[in-house]
Amino acid sequence: MDAPEIRITAEPIDGSRCKFMVSQPLHAAGVRRFASPAEAQDSPLAAAIFAIPGAEIGEVIVSGNLVTVVKRGATPWTAVGKSVGQAIRAALASGAPPLAPKAEAPVATADDDTLYERVAQLFDEQVNPMVARHGGRVELIDVQDAVVMLRMMGGCQGCGMADVTLRQGIEAMLQQHVPAVKGIVDITDHTAGTNPYFAAAKK
Amino acid sequence: MLRPYTRRLLLLLPTTTYRTAAFVEAARRLGVELTVASERPSTFEGAQPAAFLTLDFAAPERAAEQAAEFARRHPVAGVVGVDDDTAVVAAAIAGRLELTGNPVAAALAARDKHMQRVELARHGAPVPRFELHGLGEDVTDFAARLRYPCVLKPLRLAASRGVIRADDPAGFAAAFQRVGRILAQPDVVGCGDWTSRVLVEDFIPGPEVALEGLVVAGRLHVLALFDKPDPLDGPFFEESIYTTPSRLPQRAQAALGACARDAVVALGIREGPVHAELRWNESGPWLIELAARSIGGRCSAALRFGAGETSLEEIIIRHALGMPLPSLERERQASGVMMIPVPTTGVLRELRGVAAARTVPLIEDVVITAHPGQMLLPWPEGWRYPGFIFARGETPEVVEVALRTAHRRLEFIIE
Repeated sequence: MDAPEIRITAEPIDGSRCKFMVSQPLHAAGVRRFASPAEAQDSPLAAAIFAIPGAEIGEVIVSGNLVTVVKRGATPWTAVGKSVGQAIRAALASGAPPLAPKAEAPVATADDDTLYERVAQLFDEQVNPMVARHGGRVELIDVQDAVVMLRMMGGCQGCGMADVTLRQGIEAMLQQHVPAVKGIVDITDHTAGTNPYFAAAKK
Repeated sequence: MLRPYTRRLLLLLPTTTYRTAAFVEAARRLGVELTVASERPSTFEGAQPAAFLTLDFAAPERAAEQAAEFARRHPVAGVVGVDDDTAVVAAAIAGRLELTGNPVAAALAARDKHMQRVELARHGAPVPRFELHGLGEDVTDFAARLRYPCVLKPLRLAASRGVIRADDPAGFAAAFQRVGRILAQPDVVGCGDWTSRVLVEDFIPGPEVALEGLVVAGRLHVLALFDKPDPLDGPFFEESIYTTPSRLPQRAQAALGACARDAVVALGIREGPVHAELRWNESGPWLIELAARSIGGRCSAALRFGAGETSLEEIIIRHALGMPLPSLERERQASGVMMIPVPTTGVLRELRGVAAARTVPLIEDVVITAHPGQMLLPWPEGWRYPGFIFARGETPEVVEVALRTAHRRLEFIIE
């Protein structure tokens, strides 16, 4: 029997970040983040993406059927995206698990777990009551290596001001209340938002 | 997280702008401290009082007062508006806080199509012959004596909304009524006296171009000249493809640039981005519009400067804050953007073929800005593009082909 066709849709967020939605699940147990080729060495999918020549990949984040790739190089996503798609297909075609099980790392995990608790509390007590006024919600997906992964929903998903909420609101509050957080990654599929609070019009 | 640049930028972002991501990302890349001002409050404003500000964009002088009050607590080093209305507000704030910016009169003239033509004509700029009519006037009184073809235009609406060509008195009467209905729409009708008047001007034949520029101390630097390969002959004027560099002869490009430079001087624009629409025919260049803001929609992503690492928004922010300007030379590659046309009236259920469109050679991105469930409205009543396609290549010809090929792969499911 032929293997099912793997469909991959690329959704660039900006010049350095791009999401790839894959037609089959890659990692069901939460989020995995790889910040270097060394971290990815036992995970064929992430290792293949880091190995793309000239792309200068800085980070690979895998959650469910979504792969978020962060690059440092100036090569456009048109070129890099095709190589990422090939890398994902090759990793899946090999038959091996695309990602190695998450290593036990008590010290780092403990730190991330502590951060997770603090960020979750901030989201519950302050961030979500605020975005709820515009029909929105922010879901904390995971904290890895002090980087917060989140998803925006409801009125925030696809909202024309989502970037402002993310950077000026959520990121600023994290800097203030949980300064150990090093960054945030939004893994929202904003194109699928059906009820954005603010919709854009050409000006 | 990035360490903020020590100078604060006040960015005026209407809540409906497409420009949010590009400007916020540019500010982050430059590491500037950013305050986003909008006409409606952010739910984070109470928690982050230095990061957000609510301003009355409909009353520029009031907004300048509000900004001055804010600046006493959080000193502001530069202000940027991103559309026609916020360009006026930015001018008022710049005047009040003694920042780099335009005189309010210049920004007002650039925003209002009639005021702009009066000023340009007074300075001898090549503008179409024009006249102003009130919606309450009896059309039959003046339709018969107009010169045809002519074009009817609301004084301020963006994205060619409500712009209609008429070829004879009967067509003019129908178009006049239609523009009147557009100006009576709930989002427009309460916006001011301008909604009761219509500009009528000669239709200027010939190819249209868009010029992107930066004015520094009154001198226009041309950043890019875009061709519009789809003829804009009406009856409606929905934009589609822009490609750069221009394929017009060098002589024409030089004349169009000189025409825009004269218009900048005539309108009194001193600082910041400008976006101009011009036409070219056997009489030479014609100035159709000149706005004191940068290119609209997501189109700025078609522009990169230097070795390709600098965005238009970074140049605008650097200029506003008095930071050193990088090269204003556009990248070597040809580039283009297609504003995806609205195929028909209806509710968007699904847009298929985006992934296939992205696989077309030279296509860099397909950005869909419409959301499922959104009502799509074609021009002249409509003003929202469902998305944008971007391509880069060796020549504008191959870029144009790539944009059209990618567009053909999109399939709208509309009910």
